[in-house]
Amino acid sequence: MTQIRNFCIIAHIDHGKSTLADRLLERTGTITEREMQEQVLDDMDLERERGITIKSHAIRMKYKRPSGEEVIFNLIDTPGHVDFAYEVSRALKACEGALLIVDAAQGIEAQTISNLYQAIEQDLEIIPVLNKIDLPGADVEGVGQQIVDMIGCEHSDILHVSGKTGDGVEELLEEIVEKVPAPKQEVDKPLKALIFDSIFNTYRGSIAYVRVMQGTLKKGDNILFMASDKEYDAEEIGYLELKKKPCEVLKAGDVGYVIGSVKSLQDARVGDTITHQKDGADEPIPGYKESKPMVFSGIFPTESEDFEDLRSALEKLQLNDASLSYQPETSKALGFGFRAGFLGLLHMEIVQERLDREFNIDIITTVPNVQYEVETDFKGEKKRVQVENPSEMPDAGMVETVWEPYIKASIITPADYIGPVMKLCQNRRGIYLNQIFMQGNRVDITYELPMAEVVFDFYDKLKSGTRGYASLDYEFIEYRKGDLVRLDILLNGDPVDALSSITHRDNAYEHGRKVCAKLKELIPQQQYEVAIQAAIGSRVIARDTIRALRKDVTAKCYGGDVSRKRKLIEKQKEGKKRMKQVGTVEIPQEAFLAVLSMDDND
Amino acid sequence: MAGIYIHIPFCKQACSYCDFYFLTRGELKQPFVDALIEEIRHYGNHPISDETIDTIYIGGGTPSLLTPKQLKSIFTALETVFTVKPVEVTLEMNPDDVTEEFLLKIQDLGVDRASMGVQSFDEKLLQFMHRAHDPIEAVDALKLLQKANFPSYTADLIYGNPGQTMEMLGKDIDRLLTFDPPHISAYSLTIEPKTRLGKQVELGRIDPVDDDVVADQFDFLYQKLSSAGVEQYEVSNFAKPGKEAVHNSNYWRHKNYLGLGPSAHSLYWPDADNAQRWKNRSNLKSYLEQDWDGVREDEESLSLSEMAEERLMLGLRTKWGVSKKQLAERYGYTINNKQEEWLKKQQEQGQFTSVDDAIILSKTGLRIADYLIFELISRRL
Ligand SMILES: Nc1nc2c(ncn2[C@@H]2O[C@H](COP(=O)(O)OP(=O)(O)OP(=O)(O)O)[C@@H](O)[C@H]2O)c(=O)[nH]1
Ligand code: SF4
Ligand SMILES: [Mg+2]
Repeated sequence: MTQIRNFCIIAHIDHGKSTLADRLLERTGTITEREMQEQVLDDMDLERERGITIKSHAIRMKYKRPSGEEVIFNLIDTPGHVDFAYEVSRALKACEGALLIVDAAQGIEAQTISNLYQAIEQDLEIIPVLNKIDLPGADVEGVGQQIVDMIGCEHSDILHVSGKTGDGVEELLEEIVEKVPAPKQEVDKPLKALIFDSIFNTYRGSIAYVRVMQGTLKKGDNILFMASDKEYDAEEIGYLELKKKPCEVLKAGDVGYVIGSVKSLQDARVGDTITHQKDGADEPIPGYKESKPMVFSGIFPTESEDFEDLRSALEKLQLNDASLSYQPETSKALGFGFRAGFLGLLHMEIVQERLDREFNIDIITTVPNVQYEVETDFKGEKKRVQVENPSEMPDAGMVETVWEPYIKASIITPADYIGPVMKLCQNRRGIYLNQIFMQGNRVDITYELPMAEVVFDFYDKLKSGTRGYASLDYEFIEYRKGDLVRLDILLNGDPVDALSSITHRDNAYEHGRKVCAKLKELIPQQQYEVAIQAAIGSRVIARDTIRALRKDVTAKCYGGDVSRKRKLIEKQKEGKKRMKQVGTVEIPQEAFLAVLSMDDND
Repeated sequence: MAGIYIHIPFCKQACSYCDFYFLTRGELKQPFVDALIEEIRHYGNHPISDETIDTIYIGGGTPSLLTPKQLKSIFTALETVFTVKPVEVTLEMNPDDVTEEFLLKIQDLGVDRASMGVQSFDEKLLQFMHRAHDPIEAVDALKLLQKANFPSYTADLIYGNPGQTMEMLGKDIDRLLTFDPPHISAYSLTIEPKTRLGKQVELGRIDPVDDDVVADQFDFLYQKLSSAGVEQYEVSNFAKPGKEAVHNSNYWRHKNYLGLGPSAHSLYWPDADNAQRWKNRSNLKSYLEQDWDGVREDEESLSLSEMAEERLMLGLRTKWGVSKKQLAERYGYTINNKQEEWLKKQQEQGQFTSVDDAIILSKTGLRIADYLIFELISRRL
């Protein structure tokens, strides 16, 4: 039987996973020189443009050892960004080993540690790899020591490679064969194939990426999706080479794809187990923890007639991205739209960008927020509800208790920046847990923080406060009580639902003042004075005024000025489309994201 | 009937606020005049030459930098090529150029309206504007104008300058009124990006004047002039009854005009066809090559509905407003219900004096005319 090795590549963001994958594809001859491009597995436009991996990518290679023996490699390249941590966890389950990459110039960072722990939890063989040794700033010794301290391995266990030059890649290929355990090839047991990813293709429908854990799957078999309890035929099965390569059988240990008569992705759910309808397995493979949306934001079409297009665009996106959730929402200010849930801010940005680019829909988004749990008491009748939209937060009088999500954040920073990091966390209502000093004058600081405080500009502030050196990783821990209030924004006395937010009572005044000032800057002068107010319930806590327009007229309008002025009007017409009328006031789209561009020093 | 505008692209020095096309070196004046005469001849073949020319406006730049002889050759060429039956012939001039003799000579050429670039009588402000004249020259020039006894003349003022107080503006106006001018153009200072002033504002060296201050000056100006019998008939133009500028008013009525010289604009709107707008390149070098089709650029062909919006944009700036009947008949544009409703509401609030047969902005409405015109137009989107 041919030898198989299933492994994934994990690391902190940008440490060179995808680039190293390129070298492996190249050295194994999976890819010709002509097909080669940088980070070839990052095949989405957005991935290529931003230079980051968003989705895991699985690929099969045939490695010919110096001894002449041939080994099948199934590699999964994973994203490093914290928003996509769940992609890593899925990939790990389909593998027996993991290459843990560490950038020799950067050293261990927050996601290095969190990914390592995930791999250890899954009982994977870990091959530590020191990457980018070609860099002048590479600190092979120091970072090597960090790895030894972290994993408890020997210096001699660490491979030194450069994904750029290809140095050390031969040794790495051999090490994979030597150290990653071969999968159990129990081909005669009842079929259990784990769906670790799935994608949607307009022509073929859902395509499930599977790791066959035991048994044998043949083309045409009658299969059962155990969790969703749906039956299909395996119309096509195959290997995940650079292009999908159909085959007749997938056996225990193999990684491949299955195309059934599966219509929607809800049926081919990631984490589900595929077995045979007859003589199938009794128990499915324990599934994944479901990825839960962490941040929510309203998405509204700029032009109300685009609502249906937006709906179908979201549907299509969700087919390839099950972690995106959405439900219809109506806003007095913005009309019909959706409230969507995302894994994090990057995920949100990416979805918004795809709506714009791939579907060409102009959207207005509202400020992101987290999900709250609220206990209300209405004349003695107690109820506990989930609030994903600040404007749905019940009126202060009815609210008994509000719980908000907390995360545990691990921040790795050079010791010089402990001060600024702690100050930032403290300002964001953080609770200090501990700090661990690491090799190379670095510390790993752990805080518990309200998720809401981390949602928008925390990461930027962390980066700018540490000259870009700090890295952040976090995970949800639990809901906790908080003294939280709904802050409403009123324009000329009318509340603008899309501008409501939930803040801690102690910050409400400051926050309200800033929002008012920002709106004053963003809303153009109108014919009448516009009063901007921030209020908690009926109590106004901050206000500002946009003066009425007193002069707006071009001085000269003769022969040569006419065309120029007409073009200006044409441009204004475009701008007008992006304005929303709320009561008597016209608001430009940017205003709905006003709080995002507020500076702490404003 | 059609008008002719001629752009003379020479100035002594660059005023700090000015973004017109001109050169400050004068060597090419004669070659320019020669080329201009050729351009006039070229338009003898254009259908616009079938129309009678009733207004001529020589602007710039600084037309008073040309000699009477050069000006004469231009007028002769115009009369040879076009049927000229003028009701108004205007020539722009700067105080520092004007002599009694010059005025007499241009009157001989048929100029019956002088336009004097006074801008201010305040020494500091004139320096700030980087004008070539001083207050004394301004006064002298106006005296000469009075004496020359043109059927009409006009003087330009600029207000809303950084550092200009209400008191300073009052002095400028009073000073000008002592000459009892039949017509005054008063412009609020506009900061154009590509000017010296624009650059200084961009660099933060000069703060533009607050809109509220300019608005007050606008009101003040109106008060003073109207009590002197010089009535506002357009945002920036004031005249004694019957002395409104004909040529300029025709721009706002969509009468045809032919622009000659670099950077000059033209409109030709034959009946029952799209309107054509074009301009000459703002480049004397290429103008001197006399490739008249190559000189034209930005040619636009405008539909009836685009012209209707233009008409609103231009006509509402004037005291005559825009007649609904004319909008419907000439432009096929009827004010819709949404617009009517809005107009009624705005009239109640004092922004319009009439919204029935003619739509006319009130004095307060004029102050925010750009805003109101756009709101009216956009209620049709
Ligand atoms: N000098 C040098 N640069 C490298 C090496 N490997 C990767 N890089 C560079 O590091 C950057 C990040 O590389 P990627 O391969 O995209 O990193 P990644 O870990 O896949 O990033 P994510 O998937 O977004 O987490 C790119 O600019 C690469 O060119 C290396 O060995 N040497
Ligand atoms: S304002 Fe008149 S004189 Fe001054 S630069 Fe402009 S065109 Fe020339
Ligand atoms: Mg990558």
